[in-house]
Amino acid sequence: MEKAILSIQGLSKSFGNHEVLRKIDLDVQKGEIICIVGSSGSGKSTLLRCINRLERQTSGKIFYHDKEVRDIQREVNEYRSKVGMVFQSFNLFSNMTVLENCMLCTRKVLHLPKEEAFDRAIAHLKEVGMAPFINAKPAQLSGGQKQRVAIARSLCMNPEILLFDEPTSALDPEMVGEVLAVMQNLVETGLTMIVVTHEMAFARDVSTRTIFMDRGFVVEDAPPSQLFTNPKSPRTREFLSRYLAG
Amino acid sequence: MPFDFPVLENPENTFEWMAFLASKYFGMFIEGTINTLYIAVVGTVLGFVLGFAIGIIQDLDMSADDLPIVKALIKTLKLVTSAYVELFRNTPMIVQAMIVYYGLRQADVAITPVAAGILVTLLNTGAYMAETVRGGIGSIDIGQREGALSMGMSPMKTMVYVVLPQAFANIIPEMANTFLTNLKMTSVLNVIAVQELFMAAKTVGGNYYKYFESYLVIAVIYFVLCFAFNRLFLIGERHLKDTDDYALAVEYLEND
Repeated sequence: MEKAILSIQGLSKSFGNHEVLRKIDLDVQKGEIICIVGSSGSGKSTLLRCINRLERQTSGKIFYHDKEVRDIQREVNEYRSKVGMVFQSFNLFSNMTVLENCMLCTRKVLHLPKEEAFDRAIAHLKEVGMAPFINAKPAQLSGGQKQRVAIARSLCMNPEILLFDEPTSALDPEMVGEVLAVMQNLVETGLTMIVVTHEMAFARDVSTRTIFMDRGFVVEDAPPSQLFTNPKSPRTREFLSRYLAG
Repeated sequence: MPFDFPVLENPENTFEWMAFLASKYFGMFIEGTINTLYIAVVGTVLGFVLGFAIGIIQDLDMSADDLPIVKALIKTLKLVTSAYVELFRNTPMIVQAMIVYYGLRQADVAITPVAAGILVTLLNTGAYMAETVRGGIGSIDIGQREGALSMGMSPMKTMVYVVLPQAFANIIPEMANTFLTNLKMTSVLNVIAVQELFMAAKTVGGNYYKYFESYLVIAVIYFVLCFAFNRLFLIGERHLKDTDDYALAVEYLEND
């Protein structure tokens, strides 16, 4: 087996007395598409936020290319530029146009020259079909369009891993389709992705590995073919039956 | 000041008295207006800068890796600035003026009344603006910050490029308001002998025992100044508003 590019070891997170994550271990190989499913409150989003360092874990360690991700701002910044994140609520900068959204971080973090940042932004906006909207402000776009821009914005950093935190949960069914299509295209580029989602069909068809989380534990971690057809844990079965029956 | 102005003789009613005083003491009223404007503009602008600095300091987040000395410094800064904000928000400006001016004088600092006036105005404005800026920063949803941080922007860059421009736009009306308040509040600076409008009216009124008419003159001046500035701000604000339209970049439309 190849060496993991991201390794999470014994990660726990509590908010006060409430334990949200309990000793999570997770290794991520290059090119993997990991979907994390589970009911609300099972800790999926918190896990993703810990990986991106938006939350500080209570205990446990995260290694990126065998190097521990420490709580040093400069190192965290550098790590984040490699491990990007797409949010449920898009989190676009509302004072900037689509183009400015996609150029800000490449200019200010990677210090790319203007032309290069522009070319990159256009290339990724084309990839998600949003290039004609470069002059629009986020408020002028639909939810699906916003999410596509947010994905392009993250791609501009050329991340090695992209984290998706319920990217389609705030969208109506039609828009869900357009965003999932964009994500499906990304799979073909070889980008490593960790996707927290409630879209079971997407997890089943696209992921290389599906993780079921419940009450802060990783209950099951298996290829989707196995997890969806022959789940080992009764809790997984119970959860899936509710989704797949409907 | 030698002003060659036709001075009305034998004023009889209020309006004639106003015209008489205004023309006879034209130079004094002009000086008062200039000082009022000067103190209000300089004091407000510097106060804004102070307010923004404090608002940002109050928002600083300590990260675990900061050196103990940095942590202590941030903590002290936060404490000092909060104390300052409380002190200046909970005491009247007229009292602050007396304390600052006579306090400095007693400490042998040769400060002019105008400089003391500016100092008091800026300290007062800074205290109020700090709260306004804090509110403005808080009004930007945390998601936008996380969006920037998640891509490797430092907290400071996130503040400068994402949060502050939006916070600034949101508090422009409040800033305009603060300026207009300051324009009028400079009148209390007459207690430390600043030659501003109120002082001019007091002096002029005393010369003829015509206080009512004299203060009416400066009421008109204050009103015109504030009204004009308010209009100016409104025009500026309208200018800053986003349009609802955007141009589709047709060169990137796919023709298939």
